[in-house]
Amino acid sequence: MLSSAEVSNRLSGFPRFEDMSLSLPYAPRMPKGMVRETREVVAIARTFNDEVARPRALELDRKTHEDPGYMPRDLVELANRWGFYTMWIPRIFGGRGYNMPSMSYFAEEVGSVCLGIMNVIGVHYLGVAGVVASANTRLAKRILGEVVRGEKTGNPCLIALATTEPGAGTDVEEVELVDKGRVACHARRVRGGYVVNGTKVFISMGHVSTWTVLYAYEDLKRPSETTVGLMVKTGTQGFSFGSHENKMGQRVCPASVLVFEDCFIPDDQVLFSTDMVRKFTKKPIREVAQRYIDYVVGATRPGVCAFGVGAARGAFETALKHASTTTMNGTLLINHEWVQSMLAEMYKNVALGRLAYTEANYANSHRGLYKILQLKPVYYYLRLMPQAYFDKVIGPMLEKDYSTRLMGKLSYDWARPEDQRCCSGWASLAKVAGTDLGVRNCQMAIELMGQTGLRQDAGVEKMLRDIKLLQIYEGTNQLNRLNVFKCLIAPEIPQARVFEEDR
Amino acid sequence: MLSSFKSEWKPFEDLARSFAAKELAGKTEEHDRYPFGEFFHDVLDKAYEVGFLGIMLPGELGGAGGGIGTLCTVLAALCRADSSPGGIVFTNALVQKILLAADARDIAGEIFGRASSAGGFLAAFPSYTHPAHQDNLPEYKRSGRGYSLTGPVDLLVLGGLARRAIIPARAGSGRQGSFFLIDLDHKGVSKSEPVFTLGMHACPAVDVRLDRVRARLIGEEGKGEEYFDRVLPAMHVAAAAMNAGIMRGALDEALAYARERFQGGREIIRWSEVSMLLAGMAVKADAADMCVTLACQALEQGEAGWSSRCAAAALHVHEIACEAVTDGVQVLGGNGYMKDYGQEKRFRDARQVQALLGSVPARKLDLIRKVSGV
Repeated sequence: MLSSAEVSNRLSGFPRFEDMSLSLPYAPRMPKGMVRETREVVAIARTFNDEVARPRALELDRKTHEDPGYMPRDLVELANRWGFYTMWIPRIFGGRGYNMPSMSYFAEEVGSVCLGIMNVIGVHYLGVAGVVASANTRLAKRILGEVVRGEKTGNPCLIALATTEPGAGTDVEEVELVDKGRVACHARRVRGGYVVNGTKVFISMGHVSTWTVLYAYEDLKRPSETTVGLMVKTGTQGFSFGSHENKMGQRVCPASVLVFEDCFIPDDQVLFSTDMVRKFTKKPIREVAQRYIDYVVGATRPGVCAFGVGAARGAFETALKHASTTTMNGTLLINHEWVQSMLAEMYKNVALGRLAYTEANYANSHRGLYKILQLKPVYYYLRLMPQAYFDKVIGPMLEKDYSTRLMGKLSYDWARPEDQRCCSGWASLAKVAGTDLGVRNCQMAIELMGQTGLRQDAGVEKMLRDIKLLQIYEGTNQLNRLNVFKCLIAPEIPQARVFEEDR
Repeated sequence: MLSSFKSEWKPFEDLARSFAAKELAGKTEEHDRYPFGEFFHDVLDKAYEVGFLGIMLPGELGGAGGGIGTLCTVLAALCRADSSPGGIVFTNALVQKILLAADARDIAGEIFGRASSAGGFLAAFPSYTHPAHQDNLPEYKRSGRGYSLTGPVDLLVLGGLARRAIIPARAGSGRQGSFFLIDLDHKGVSKSEPVFTLGMHACPAVDVRLDRVRARLIGEEGKGEEYFDRVLPAMHVAAAAMNAGIMRGALDEALAYARERFQGGREIIRWSEVSMLLAGMAVKADAADMCVTLACQALEQGEAGWSSRCAAAALHVHEIACEAVTDGVQVLGGNGYMKDYGQEKRFRDARQVQALLGSVPARKLDLIRKVSGV
């Protein structure tokens, strides 16, 4: 047999054993309570589907075609009443503190009925991730506290996240590219804050959110070194909404144009800046900015995978129902072998997609954004302590500078680059896999259903329209493939260069 | 682009392209809002005036007397801009071909020969089905000297616009079908609102319920499938021409965008990952044109053995079209998903066109049955 040194040596070759399977080492470390919690989350999602999503999805889609100005305020109020906007906010910030991976299962469930409605719920957590990953605990406590109060008072408080600009989509997702991109959202340092000018586009739920996490640049020629994260409240002078986009699908969830004209943001709403980062790390600001982006998209892209798996499942379930009730040449479709084979293929796609987001979530749970929350003692501590303890004891601590410094050290200074690559790479891998499989299943379902599949009232054509967006947002699948290469393959190949192709 | 293979088709391509430039360009999104916006009656009237609604119908019956090559050239050029008028032209051509296959020239003359407007020249048909594959066709019964039809017809294309429709029906539980002409104004016809579908919104369909509707038999009783099989090769190629046009439009827009849009400090066409997407689309668009052209030439020359090849060519063209339009959206990123650009419509329309003449799996099974004789 091999000595332990030989085993280590063998396992460090490409692919490194620790990158091959994340569930193998990490599943046993998972707190058991997470399973119970996830079961509950899935049951809640199924109840919501039966009571809200399923009866409304097609009617709302039709409504958005009749009235392109439709805003989902009624849905937002409902989701707020159901507690969905605080469900995955950690209890230290006053939220319900359900474990983060359980959100993927929730997204699959609700996404299987309507991706638009799921986005009305889910995109808020892109904003939450933008706030939490900044390490700015003081501002996180304030903003997330407002979300919690919004739930209690029945006035929903949602967070949007604004990155994409009219001239720059892919470029703003990668520090390597942003300096070559055509970014134009400028943040000028002034006494007591920043003045912002610029436009952001395709901002999901912008119109109906209370807060927007806005990324702007102090120097448009060196954006990678001058990224600023700002919290902007809807209604602030100089911040207005343009039209919202006329999309092919997910129409119930608006994609907004945000316009900033000499918009002043005070210092106490600065989430992330060079000055703040310098308080906890000496690492190059570019590196920190990339890490920040990776934390956010590393946590949210597995969620997009789950959205895709949801659509894949919705398409499968719709096709299954059709095949079980429709005949061809006098025989139920379901009893034709080609139909059984197609349905099995679709079921397989759902299962593979689910494995992909599960693996990516293991990466985040043990090597990424919320790894502290998943440590067994921390997990049970957060679950079992009374809320008053967090409000009265932990809450005031979060407002202190040392708290932000500690979070900054943990998240940025002491974090290992290989963990960053693992989380970011797996997140991209899952995102590409889940969304491509989702598109594939919707296409297969439409083919299987023939002319019925073309009808909006049959459901599956809407799923195809809805899912196409998933191959584009949170980084196009093209960018995400390159990120898989950059994070999981290129580190093994010294001569590999990414985003630097010769013309 | 089909005219680059055969110069005789050039005048028709030029005509269709100039029609598209004048009547469709810049208005496709507005036209596509139907049934939530206005229907483009003006475009339909002009399509009638230039003869697009009867391209393959003989001159003496009020048509333009063209061949399948002419029809495909016009369809491809129209669909390059907007596939909805293509769907209308296709459905009318399908009806006319069925009437001719059944040697029902008298009925064709009555409908098309006497028409004096686009509305009068249209005839509806459930174009997304192959009647032989449908288990739930309306039932026909003899009624006096004629027939009466009872039962549902889903997605009757142009049913909300045309005065007449050709309906496939069966007698009782028998499998043999026949085609009938019905008047859509008959009191036994109840029509739904326009059905909201994935694509081709301006080529609308309605669900129809027939209750003892007076009907005229087309050709002979029980020969519906035979007539339909006779028109299928040409109509499969016509549907393929539509998707070849859609692909060409998708490639035009993707190339134009990729030359203009900057990312990472250069036009996106200069990144090889995007170039590969574009190359894939270009390969597919050319392959589709070649499939359609070769099939048209073989059909026009009456070459034997092309029946299943046409079905195969169409299946292939539709499949690659659905891939190409997906990449067409992708090249434009977020913009590709928005109605300000044409790609999202092509993404929807290509799937809709693929479903013409019956479901894809049923057509594949049919193909192999015919090729193998098993």
